Amino acid sequence: MSDPNLLLSFLTKLNALTGGVFLLVAFGLVAIRQMLTCLRLYVFQSLLLAISALILGYFYGSIHLFIVAGLTIIAKVLLIPWLLRHTVGYESYAKREISQAINIPASLLIALAITVFAYYIAVPMLAAAGAGRFAWVNLPIGLACLILGAFAVTVRREAVPQLLGILAMENGAFLAGVAIAPNLPLFAELAAAFDVLIIALVMGLLTMKIHRTLGKTAVGELIALKED
Amino acid sequence: MLSRIIFNVIQVIVVLAFAPLIKGILNRLKENVQSKRGPSILQPYRDIWKLFHKDEVVSEDSSWIFRFTPFVVFITPIFVTLLIPVLTDYPLFFAFMGDMLAAGFILALGGFFATLAAIDTGNPYGPMGASRTRMVGFLAEPVFMIVFFTVSFVAGSTIPYIVQKHWVTPLANFFDPSHILTILAFLMLIIAETGRIPVDNPSGHFELAMIDESKGLEYSGRGAALMKWGGAMKFMVLCCVFLNVLVAPWGLAQGPEYWQVLLAIPLILIKIFILLLVLVVIESSLAKLRLFRITEFLGAAFATSVVAMITGLFFM
Amino acid sequence: MELLIILIICAVAAALSLIPLGKRFAPVVTLLASLVVFALAILAALANLRGGEVVAVRDWISCDSLSALILLLAAFVGLAAAIFSWGYINAIVGAGDDRKIRRYYSRFNLFLLSLLAIPLFSNVAIVWIAVELTTLFAVFLVSFESTPQALEAAWKFIVLTGMGAALALFGILLLYWGLSLAHHPGAFTWAHLVAAAPQMPSTLRNTAFLFILIGFGAKVGLVPLHTWIPEAYSQAPSPICTLLSGIETSAVLYCILRLLPLFPSGAASRAGLWFIVFGLISTGVAAFLMLKTKDFKRLFAFSTVEHMGIIMVGAGLGTFAAHFGAMLQIVAHSLTKSLCFFAAGSTLMATGTRNIPAIRGLIRISPLAGIFLMVGGLAIAGAPPFAVFLGEFAILKSGVASGQYLVIGLLALFIGVAFFSIMYQINQMVFGSPDVILIDEQSLFGRSTLPRRNILPWTCIAALVVTVIPVIVLGVYLPDQLYLLLHNAAAVLGGSR
Repeated sequence: MSDPNLLLSFLTKLNALTGGVFLLVAFGLVAIRQMLTCLRLYVFQSLLLAISALILGYFYGSIHLFIVAGLTIIAKVLLIPWLLRHTVGYESYAKREISQAINIPASLLIALAITVFAYYIAVPMLAAAGAGRFAWVNLPIGLACLILGAFAVTVRREAVPQLLGILAMENGAFLAGVAIAPNLPLFAELAAAFDVLIIALVMGLLTMKIHRTLGKTAVGELIALKED
Repeated sequence: MLSRIIFNVIQVIVVLAFAPLIKGILNRLKENVQSKRGPSILQPYRDIWKLFHKDEVVSEDSSWIFRFTPFVVFITPIFVTLLIPVLTDYPLFFAFMGDMLAAGFILALGGFFATLAAIDTGNPYGPMGASRTRMVGFLAEPVFMIVFFTVSFVAGSTIPYIVQKHWVTPLANFFDPSHILTILAFLMLIIAETGRIPVDNPSGHFELAMIDESKGLEYSGRGAALMKWGGAMKFMVLCCVFLNVLVAPWGLAQGPEYWQVLLAIPLILIKIFILLLVLVVIESSLAKLRLFRITEFLGAAFATSVVAMITGLFFM
Repeated sequence: MELLIILIICAVAAALSLIPLGKRFAPVVTLLASLVVFALAILAALANLRGGEVVAVRDWISCDSLSALILLLAAFVGLAAAIFSWGYINAIVGAGDDRKIRRYYSRFNLFLLSLLAIPLFSNVAIVWIAVELTTLFAVFLVSFESTPQALEAAWKFIVLTGMGAALALFGILLLYWGLSLAHHPGAFTWAHLVAAAPQMPSTLRNTAFLFILIGFGAKVGLVPLHTWIPEAYSQAPSPICTLLSGIETSAVLYCILRLLPLFPSGAASRAGLWFIVFGLISTGVAAFLMLKTKDFKRLFAFSTVEHMGIIMVGAGLGTFAAHFGAMLQIVAHSLTKSLCFFAAGSTLMATGTRNIPAIRGLIRISPLAGIFLMVGGLAIAGAPPFAVFLGEFAILKSGVASGQYLVIGLLALFIGVAFFSIMYQINQMVFGSPDVILIDEQSLFGRSTLPRRNILPWTCIAALVVTVIPVIVLGVYLPDQLYLLLHNAAAVLGGSR
C-alpha cells in the first residue's frame, strides 16, 4: 500500500463499488415489497453515502467531507429510523406488503431505463468539466438515484415508502455532491443535515395524523380532492 | 502435451467422483442446520449404486428421446469440465474447443433434452414441471447474457482462463464494482438454475409444487442413476465456474507438476464446501417463493447484472 | 443591519406566540412583529434605492434591488395576513381552543421567517434551505383543520414540493461545481455566479438550470407539477393561502429568475425558451381549468398558476421592457391575490361553503364580502383600472415590440379565457337571488361546524381595505420610489434594452 498509484486505484475501485451497491439499493427502494426492509435499505444507503464521503475525504484531505460523513451517520443512520419509529408508530410500517401502481418487474425495467437516462445526462457534463475519477462514478449514480427516488415516490402508494423515496432523492443528490462540491460551506452542510431530519419529522407526524384520522396510510388511495 | 491430456482426464475424474459427495454434504448440512441428524454424506453414492442394479421400466408410448436423454444429461457436464478451470489456471488440452458461452450452451443442451423427455412420456406432471423449468430458464436467460457480456467486456475476453486472471492482476481489480455485482447476480442464477430455495425446493415430494424435480419422475433404474449423477455434476460444474472464474481464482495449480495438480483437488473441495455453507444459510433462512414471484427474484438478478454492466461500462 | 433584525424579530415572535398569556397575546405579538418587519423592509428598500446593495453579512445576508422588492412584498402581505388572521382564526377555531390558536401563530411566524429568508440570503445553498423550510413550516398550516381532505392536501403538498426541492438541490450542487470549475474565487452567491457564468461549461449550466427550474417549478406551480396547488389552497385557512399564493410562489419564482442573468444572450438563450414554454403551458392549462372548477378557492389557486405562467413568459421574452413588466406583474399579483383570498375567506365565513353553485346572491347575504369578491375578481382577471392590467399590458406590449407575435398571441388568448372564466364564476356567486341557495352535504367539505355569520370581524375588513388600496392605486399611479425599485430590479435580470 505504500505505492500511491496502487492506493489511488484501490480507493477508486472501492468508491466505485460503494456507488454500485448504492445504485442497487436504490433499485431495492423501488421494488422491495416489505416496508421494514425498505427502511433498512435506506439506512444502509445512507451508510454507503457516508463511506463514499470518507473515501473522498481521505483522498482530497478534506475535513469537510469527514464532517459530512459524521453528520450523515448521526442524522440518517441513527436519528431518522428512531424518529420514524416514534412518530409513525410501529404498526404502520410493520405491515408487510406495499401496494404499488406498477408491478414490480415492470417498475424494475423502468428503473433500468432511468439509470441509462441518468448516464445519458451526466456524461456530457462530466466530459465538459474534465472531471476526475470519483466524479465519474458519483455524479451519474447520484443522479440515477435522484430520479429513481422520484420514481419510487410516484409508484408507491404507502406513506412511509414515499417518504423514503424523497429521502433517497436527497441521498442521491448528496452522493453527487460529495464528489462535485466537496468544499460547500460547512454551515450549509449542517443546515442540510438538519433539514433532512425536519423532513422526516414533519412527514412522519403527518403520516401519524393521517393514520389516526383515516385509519390507513395508503396515501395513494386518497382521492377526495379532485375536479369533478 | 501428454501431461496436459492426463490433467484433463484427472479433471473429469474429479468431477465424476466428487459430484455425488457434494450433493451428499449439502443435504447433510441442511438437515444439521435444521437440528436433524440427516443422511450420511455418502447417501448419493448408495442411491446411484442401487439404481444401477435395478431394472429399468420404460413407457411403451415414449420415443427414442426418452431413452437417449439420460446419456445427454450425463455427458454434457463432462464436456463442460473439459473447457473450464477446475484444477489448473492454464488451459488444458481440450480447452481450445470453446469459451464460457460454449459451456453455457452445452449445459443448456442437457436441460433442453431433459425438458423434451419430460414431455415425451405423457405423464401429466412432466410437462408441467418442464414448462415451469422453461419459464425460469427464459427469465434467467437475459441475466446469463448480461453477466457474460459484462464479464467479457470488463476482462476483455470470454475465455475463462483469461477472465480469471484479470480479477487478480492487480488485486485492486477484485474490488471492481462490476466484479462484485456480477458475483451477486451469478449466485442468484446458480440458485435459480439448479432449482434451490427460494426458487424451487429440491427436497420437496409434492408433484404439483415441483419445478426441477418433476422432469425425472418417470425414470427408473439406470436412467434415473444417470440423471441423478448428471444433475450432481452440473451443480458441481456451475460451482467450479462460479468459484474459480469469478469469486476465488486462487488455489489452482499454476505449474505443470503432478503434485500441484493433485494439491488443487482438496483446495477446490474446500472452496466448494465454503460455498455450500453459504447456500445452506440462504436455503434455511428463506422461504420458497410463489411461482409468480420468481419473476421478481430473477428481476432482482437482472437489475444487479445490469448495474454491474453500467458501472463497468462507465468505470473503464 | 435591518436585515438581521427582520429575521430575529420573526423568530422571537414565533417563540413568544407560544406563551399562554390569554387569547389576544399571540395575535397581538404577531401583528406588532409583522408591522415592525414591514417598516424595516421599507427602510431596507429605501436604503437600497439610495446606496445600491444593502449588506448585513458579506456573502451571506445582503439585499439588492430584486431581493428588496420581494422582501417588501413579503413583509406587506405578511402584515395583511396577520391582520386578517386575527378575526378569521378566532372564527374558525372557536373561543375555547387557545392552544390551537397559539400554535397557529407560532407556525405563521416561522413560515413568514422562512419566506423572508429567501430574498435576504444571498448564499445560494442557504436559499435552498430557506425554500425547503417554507414547505416544512407550511405543512401543518395547510393541514390546520385536520379534516381528511386537509391532511390529503398537506401530504400532496409536501410530497410534490419535497421531490422538487431534491431536484433543485442537485441543480444547485451542479452550479457550485460550475463555480469551482470556473476558478472564480468568490463565495457561492448569486452575484458571483453571474460573474463566473461565462467560464462555466455550457452543458453544466443548462443542466443545472433545468433541474432548478423543474425543482423550484414544483413549488411555483408550473403546470405538470401544479397539482398540489388547488388542493393546498382549497384546504388551508385563507390567510395562509394569501402567504402561499402571494409570496411563496413569487419568492420561489424569484430564485428561478435569479438564474436568468447566467444566460447572457437573453431571449435567444435556451433559458428564455424554457421560460416561455413552461409559462405558456401553465397559463393555458390554468385558464381552462378555471372554467371547470366548482370551488372558489380552487378558482383563485388556478389563477395563481396562470399568473406565474404570465410572469414566466414576461421573464423569458428577454428584453428589459418585458422584465419590467414581469416585475410589475409580480407586485400586482401578490397584492391582488391577497385581496382575493381575503375576500374568499370572508365569503367562506359568510356562507360556510366553498362550492360555487351553492352560492347565489352573495351581495345580499354579505354585502361587504360580495363587493370585495367582485373587486378582487375584476382585479385579478385583469380589468383596466387595476394593477394586474398594467403588468399584463406591459408584458404584451414589450412582446409585440420585440416581434414575438406567436407567443404574445397565445398569451393574449389565454389571458382572455382566464378573464372570461373568472368573471363567469364570480358573477354566478355574487349576483342572483339568495333564496335558491342549495347546500348539499358534500359541498360543506366537513366545514359544517363553521358558524354562518353575516357580519365580518373588523380585522378582516381592515385587511381587505389595506390590500384593496394599493391594488387600486397602483393601477392609476406608480410612486417614483416604487418605479425606481422596479426599474432597478428589472435591470438585475440583465435583459437587452
